[in-house]
Amino acid sequence: MNKKSLACSGLALAALAALAALVAFAAVPALAHHSFAMFDRDKPMTLEGVVKQFQWTNPHSWIQVNAPGPDGVMREWSIEGNSTGTLYRQGWKPTSFKAGDKVSMRIFPMKDGSAGGSFVGAKFADGHVLGRMD
Amino acid sequence: MIRFSFLAAAALAAAALHAPAQAAQPAGPAAAVDPSKLKAFATLPDWSGVWTLAPGVPGGSFDPSLTVPKGGQSGLAGVRVDAPLTPEWAAKYAANRAKVDADRFPDPVSFCGTPSGFPRVLTIPDGYEFVVRPEQTWILTENGPNVIRVYTDGRGHLPPDEIWATFSGDSIGHWEGETLVFETIAMVGDGSTILDRTGLTLSGKQKVTTRLRKTAPDMLESQMTIEDPVALTRPWTVTRLYKRQPVGSRVFDYVCTENNRNPITATGQTLTLDTSGNQIDRKVDPAPEGGKAAP
Repeated sequence: MNKKSLACSGLALAALAALAALVAFAAVPALAHHSFAMFDRDKPMTLEGVVKQFQWTNPHSWIQVNAPGPDGVMREWSIEGNSTGTLYRQGWKPTSFKAGDKVSMRIFPMKDGSAGGSFVGAKFADGHVLGRMD
Repeated sequence: MIRFSFLAAAALAAAALHAPAQAAQPAGPAAAVDPSKLKAFATLPDWSGVWTLAPGVPGGSFDPSLTVPKGGQSGLAGVRVDAPLTPEWAAKYAANRAKVDADRFPDPVSFCGTPSGFPRVLTIPDGYEFVVRPEQTWILTENGPNVIRVYTDGRGHLPPDEIWATFSGDSIGHWEGETLVFETIAMVGDGSTILDRTGLTLSGKQKVTTRLRKTAPDMLESQMTIEDPVALTRPWTVTRLYKRQPVGSRVFDYVCTENNRNPITATGQTLTLDTSGNQIDRKVDPAPEGGKAAP
């Protein structure tokens, strides 16, 4: 790689980082359709699992993930996301998650301990992130 | 002469036939329109494109500047908006907030099909479009979707004996330079709609005066002054900003019933369903006696 392309890569990386920051900021869930009261925003948690299904739908998108919960028991988790229009404008696509994707999922879990939560972020095996993982 | 008399008689007969129908129908709003007084198309501001609430605003609170605790998101336990409510309406609001804290105060839009209502519609997530024409401006929201029609063709509000309360109300406006000023009346209130998910409501007697203008090339501002002789102690002015999205942005279908996995129970609890339609919630209220008790 010559010096020029290195510089370009640096610029591209910077642009990507800026974009990622923008997307991360914009991805704070608004949950346009119902109350947020069921979720515990004070105790975000991270699931390590495998995507079973991605529902690119309204009023919410849903990511179904098979992952062990805090008790170690494997369950199918229902992770609720924003509506499709907003997600698309934030850089998501109908193919952002595919069945079989290994992901770390950051969520605001349901207060009652059910296998569900509100989407905060996802980190894929190749390192790319949607939303935010902090 | 004979021919003239025949025509005159025919005209009289026609007038007589139409007279009862005309008497039974009031002059429509179109009668008030004078096209020569409409603002010229070329002098209207450019509000084209897709807009969303400016980033950094806590989600959903009607007036984030008065949210307690600061930065609190509506719908979360303990969050309130410090609106200038009368003691009676402050008590009503406190009761609503207690239900919000217990997740038993569902958002009316959760039932799918209920409009956001005015002025809440000016502070919702997802995309906005502002279609400006001389005779009216349409505010289109992706979420819902909702349509607010602001008439600027010189008509007035419907007369008192013909108007009824709706979610979106009756909006009549005029242009002051490049600022659209409009007054909205005849909105439903408490029991039908909310201002935000903290449980804030108005009486249904509110009047809202909105000033909509651009504050920067890609920033729109709505300044809403709400007067409610029943619920508020003084006029309450709320300002929201909308950021224009990149050129080429699109707005999409928002179909609330497409995959609504959050039904509301008879006690007002918001459930979560799995992909097969089974609830995943571990704690669900027992159904109240006597069947459904819609919130």
